[in-house]
Amino acid sequence: MADSVSYFLMAWLDPSLLMLTAIGTLAGIYVGAIPGLSVTMATSILISFTFSWDVNDALALIVGIYTGGVYGGSRTAILLNIPGAPSSVATSFDGYPLAQKGEAGQAIGLSTVMSVIGGLIGVGVLASVAPFLSDMALKFAPRDYFLIAALGLLLVGSLAAESLSRGIFAAAMGAVIGLVGLDQVTADPRFTMGSMQLMGGIHYVVVMIGMFGVAEAFFQLHQLNAKPLRQKVDKIVPSLHLVLKFLPLSIRTSVIGVIVGALPGTGGDIASLFAYDHAKRSVKHPSRPFGKGAYEGLVAPETANNAAVGGAYVPMLTLGMPGDAVTAIIIGALVVHGLNPGPMLMIQAPHIFWFTVGNLVLANLFLLIFGLTGIKVFAKVVELPKAILIPLIMVLCVVGSYSLNSSMTEVYWMLGFGLLGYFMKIFRFQMGPVILGVILGPLMDKTYRQAMSSVGNDTGSFLLSLVTNPLSLVLTTAVVLLLLSNTPLKRLLQRRRQA
Amino acid sequence: MIKKVLATLALSVGTLAVASSAFADYPERNIQGIIQWGAGGATDNVARSLTPHVEEALGTSIILNNRPGGTGVIGMNSVMQQPANGYTVLYGAENPQLYPIMGLADFDYSAMTPINVIGQGLVVIAAPADSQFDNFKELLNYAHKNPGKLRMGGTGAGGLPSTVLAMVNSVDSLDVRNVTFGGDGPGITAMLGNHIDFMPLSLAAAQDQIPAGRLKGLAVFSKEKIEELPNTPPITQALPRIESYLPWGPFWAVAVREGTPDAIVKTLSKAYEKGVANEQFQTFLTENGAKPLNLQGEKAEEFLNRWQSVTAWALQKADAAKISPQDVGIPKP
Repeated sequence: MADSVSYFLMAWLDPSLLMLTAIGTLAGIYVGAIPGLSVTMATSILISFTFSWDVNDALALIVGIYTGGVYGGSRTAILLNIPGAPSSVATSFDGYPLAQKGEAGQAIGLSTVMSVIGGLIGVGVLASVAPFLSDMALKFAPRDYFLIAALGLLLVGSLAAESLSRGIFAAAMGAVIGLVGLDQVTADPRFTMGSMQLMGGIHYVVVMIGMFGVAEAFFQLHQLNAKPLRQKVDKIVPSLHLVLKFLPLSIRTSVIGVIVGALPGTGGDIASLFAYDHAKRSVKHPSRPFGKGAYEGLVAPETANNAAVGGAYVPMLTLGMPGDAVTAIIIGALVVHGLNPGPMLMIQAPHIFWFTVGNLVLANLFLLIFGLTGIKVFAKVVELPKAILIPLIMVLCVVGSYSLNSSMTEVYWMLGFGLLGYFMKIFRFQMGPVILGVILGPLMDKTYRQAMSSVGNDTGSFLLSLVTNPLSLVLTTAVVLLLLSNTPLKRLLQRRRQA
Repeated sequence: MIKKVLATLALSVGTLAVASSAFADYPERNIQGIIQWGAGGATDNVARSLTPHVEEALGTSIILNNRPGGTGVIGMNSVMQQPANGYTVLYGAENPQLYPIMGLADFDYSAMTPINVIGQGLVVIAAPADSQFDNFKELLNYAHKNPGKLRMGGTGAGGLPSTVLAMVNSVDSLDVRNVTFGGDGPGITAMLGNHIDFMPLSLAAAQDQIPAGRLKGLAVFSKEKIEELPNTPPITQALPRIESYLPWGPFWAVAVREGTPDAIVKTLSKAYEKGVANEQFQTFLTENGAKPLNLQGEKAEEFLNRWQSVTAWALQKADAAKISPQDVGIPKP
């Protein structure tokens, strides 16, 4: 116990570790805010030059970057309608409408406080029930991931704002984009048209940057002469009353975030979409209608994606298995530093667990400080004249997509998707469902085939396995209910009840 | 103002001097290192651990970039598109040697000039801790009686598990359900949850799980027992006839584009030889379940050719190759 406390406080008491966490958090916020410059990339670059460092120093810096980076993605999502990372896609649904109402400052303030609350709940779960949660995560068989992916795709019902058919079309298109590349099982090329560049598939961040960033920039050309809205920047820190009002929702969405984050096959991007859907279904009287600047629509994804950070550390610290792409790189870093991440980690390097927990708490506190400063300057970005703002967005988009793989291929694809997204916007298609499809389509494809080959490619036993296992049965029921709630059947039932 | 101009002048003269004096000597600028697999994986870890020692020997920086995708085809292709001047090097794994027979690309390492074959990984066949099998012999017996019932974790066509399966199948019969995962990590996670029955893994990925009692080692893919897993029998105990393929395992190599001037190849080879021989890196390799090789020039080419011929023909024998090795000019071992 005394050991745990001293490990927990390691980063708090050592000035250099404290500084590194702070620097990491600050850098993470800005790296995360630029679309395409991802936390994954930042950590992998960092690892190269932390090679000669002490392992604790490297870990402190990475924890900061990770925490700051996941939060940073919300900045551009709110201000420019360009999510800095896939986990901030849902943030843009209500965050950007808020900025258009002149409330960018309040939106960023609220998202900061809520991110910290989500982050702390995530760490709390990590610290208290990590072994239990990781045992639970192991119980998820391929068929369960398949059901989660199906559940996720059904979210299209809440993401497609006005037209469900347009939403389904967009999600299906996203799923097809996600299938491009070498087939995972047979290594046969799919939809590559003989091009070697396409064998690796189309990076979903490329689709995101194009559809949100470039399409938005093109779209704004329609309103070149519109006077930029003056942003109210006087009340940035949300009142205690407001925070308390959203506390029940934020606890629920944090739990969603931490569980989805702890599953080794899913991460913050899926968690935040689930959370947004949960808010939309459970909050009967939002501050404004969802999609038009509801605070609840901002709170849900922001708490969930930061809570997912704590979740992702669960399988990493207990099993040595990555919870997402960033923890995969941290595992790589531990290997390079001569530690063997795995079940022996707790014995070989017992300090790592509580050191990381302490560090995550610290990073969240720094997030609160850094997140709430500089908002006024940031909010002014929206007030920039279009002649400066639009080229700025374009530059960010090109830099972001180039740096994904240091290759121009991604830039061309990004521009192509930008053009496509622009026309889709004109015909009132939503961009959210496309991203949903790109993320979940491949997951569903992969897990469906895993589940099928596990039962010897027998459809009957596959369907049976969906209802004979308790965990799968729960998920199957959820899928069926969600499916029915999207059909006229639900309205029919409601009408009958009223009659 | 004058100071500023002078400073700029001095700086540019300095740069010029450096540039002209270094013109004759390679390397005169940073080198790009392309890793054909993603960040955090085995190839990435090897590349990032090795490079600092090579930089020291070479006296310049090597900027590492991950270019994953298409089983490494994309990374390798991008190096082959760069000029043959030694400023772009590839950090690759064993996969290119199987591109021709898997129909992934019409090139392999023979289309490049090898600089160093760094080391070879060991392979272990693992099962969940509470598996009904204690060794590979028991698993084989069960599979003979119940063909097509066992679930094997795989990583797709041409991946390590399917190659091991093909080698087993070329001397025996092992009919299983092949469940494909994105890599060793997701496969191990599925095994910990008892969602698959066994999986051939790189020792690096499995060596912590087995002593900790979370996984069981059924066989090591070698002729003798290995130090890291003293309680796991060698596969030859269950399958003596597989010996002709051994030692076999995934490997890592560094290569440059074909046609790179000999002097540059020599400089690079020397630097990488020094880097791989570095004590710290050798410890890293052995601690991660790999055998250091450090081969250059002809020896490296010999190794690559033998590996390709043995593996390709084993796959062909087990009917797992899409294109016959004969058709793409791979000689029989």
